[in-house]
Amino acid sequence: MSHRQFIAAAGFFLLSFAVPLVVHSDYTLQILFRVFLFAALGLAWNLVGGYAGQLSLGHAAYFGVGAYGLALLSKVGIPPWLSLFLGVGLAVISAAIIGLVSFRLRGPYFALCTIAFAEVVRLVAKNLPDVTGGDVGTQVPLLFTESSIKSFYISGVLLTALAFVLTAWIERSKFGYYLMAIREDEDTAMSVGVNTSRVKLWSLLISAALTAIGGALYASLFLFIVPDQVMSLDMSVEIAIVPMLGGAGTLFGPVIGSIVLETAAEIFKNIFQEAHLLIYGVLVVMVVIFLPEGIAGTIVNKLRLFKKAPAGSLAAPVPVRPEEEAERTAFRK
Amino acid sequence: MVLLEAKHVSKRFGGLKAVNDVSFTVSRGEITFIVGPNGAGKTTLFNLITGVVHPDSGSIYFQDQDITKLAPDQAAKLGIGRTFQIVKPLGNLTVLENVMLGAFLRTSKPAQAEEEARGILTFLQMEKFLHLPARGMGLPMLKRLEIARALATQPKLILLDEVVAGLPTVEAIKLAMLLKRLPEWGISAIGGIEHVMQVVMKIADRVIVIDRGVLIAEGKPQEVVDRPEVIEAYLGPKYKEIGL
Repeated sequence: MSHRQFIAAAGFFLLSFAVPLVVHSDYTLQILFRVFLFAALGLAWNLVGGYAGQLSLGHAAYFGVGAYGLALLSKVGIPPWLSLFLGVGLAVISAAIIGLVSFRLRGPYFALCTIAFAEVVRLVAKNLPDVTGGDVGTQVPLLFTESSIKSFYISGVLLTALAFVLTAWIERSKFGYYLMAIREDEDTAMSVGVNTSRVKLWSLLISAALTAIGGALYASLFLFIVPDQVMSLDMSVEIAIVPMLGGAGTLFGPVIGSIVLETAAEIFKNIFQEAHLLIYGVLVVMVVIFLPEGIAGTIVNKLRLFKKAPAGSLAAPVPVRPEEEAERTAFRK
Repeated sequence: MVLLEAKHVSKRFGGLKAVNDVSFTVSRGEITFIVGPNGAGKTTLFNLITGVVHPDSGSIYFQDQDITKLAPDQAAKLGIGRTFQIVKPLGNLTVLENVMLGAFLRTSKPAQAEEEARGILTFLQMEKFLHLPARGMGLPMLKRLEIARALATQPKLILLDEVVAGLPTVEAIKLAMLLKRLPEWGISAIGGIEHVMQVVMKIADRVIVIDRGVLIAEGKPQEVVDRPEVIEAYLGPKYKEIGL
């Protein structure tokens, strides 16, 4: 992360923490909570799906385990915050199991395998009414007592900040380089001594833990959850689309993606009423067609066209510049 | 002193015996070239040594340790580096980052990895390209990048699969002269090569000739190219007339 990026990020998070001082509408804060929640989930997904390039479409499993962990463990008398962390532990364990199996597969087969696992988790939750409440759902304890929505908003910003700092640190570390190497070419990564299965698994464990915290926050805000909501394929897809739209494999991408997508979704809901999903779908298609590297990825590439960026962190595909071409031709001669 | 030893190694892909009962040794500080026509089994032999595939029978020893069943990343950790015949750059990373990735095998500090990567890139005369993305570089530079990344892992043995294939002759010889210096750093090399015999004659200490998976000759470069069975299987009778 460059100096300028650091200032931008620090300023952004400071402003975000200050928002409840100005904004008092519960409705607005709830939307902003959703923006930050999905920014955090997107950052979490980005470690596996963006940096390591493993397209997971089953993150709802970890989200759901986090949500149900909080709900069910506190039902048996464990304090809510302890339940939350135990739930995160359960999500990490399930990620270990899912990862050990699905990381044996590459490309689309991996994606299909993650969908299958998330569906298994959802169906199990649906069909164990004695434990989970089944389709009827279950109650979730409130994590914060006073001025609840403000606390949720702040915890959403905190979770995003945590995921952001973690990502920024990973990006510059050996682990981050290994993740990117796996995305670029797994055989090459192995040839320089990267234990690709282990590195991929670690990224998934970190990702699942963050996702599960998000799931618990979400569940506690709504106080009531059903499997078809917190473990649905829609949830998995949304967690993946946010960073893809913003720029997968970039630090700022998931945050930008969430701001654009979640606010757009809310605005469309108000303006277009029943047609909002259609408009939303069109927006996603447009971005995929015209900005395949996502919003952040495209901006970074445009910047790189003008100056020789000390690349690295922002590893989005780059078109060939004319002077590069000239250098290369000169070398060939 | 023996660095690598292959004992009666065989590998079959369905009905094809890609490598058939091949035994050879590589000594420390030596550059060995495996030559043979297209499909002779050179790449399979490299994949067997680096653990990408495992032999059906036979065994491979590296520094007296059995590496027959090792995974590729474990082989790299032991000190076996490799380049790929079909170059595999990490396209969206810069040249420097590609090489740093190799250096991370021996250090966890990005600053140190970068320093080592810069040193290696300077040796391979690639300083100009440090911050360019590997995607879209020309083949000569990509071939060098493969070598740089492998060297950054500080290997004791480096396997160079068709490292000069597809390069213009001048560039191939330039690269070969750089590679000739590897033993100075205590790095042994095995090159695999199909047809650029000039390079082999210039830098190889020893040559192994394989044809259809079978080892047909080994020895010093000049001795080997004079053998009738090598001329028959590989070089062709006209080779003697052209002379090298």
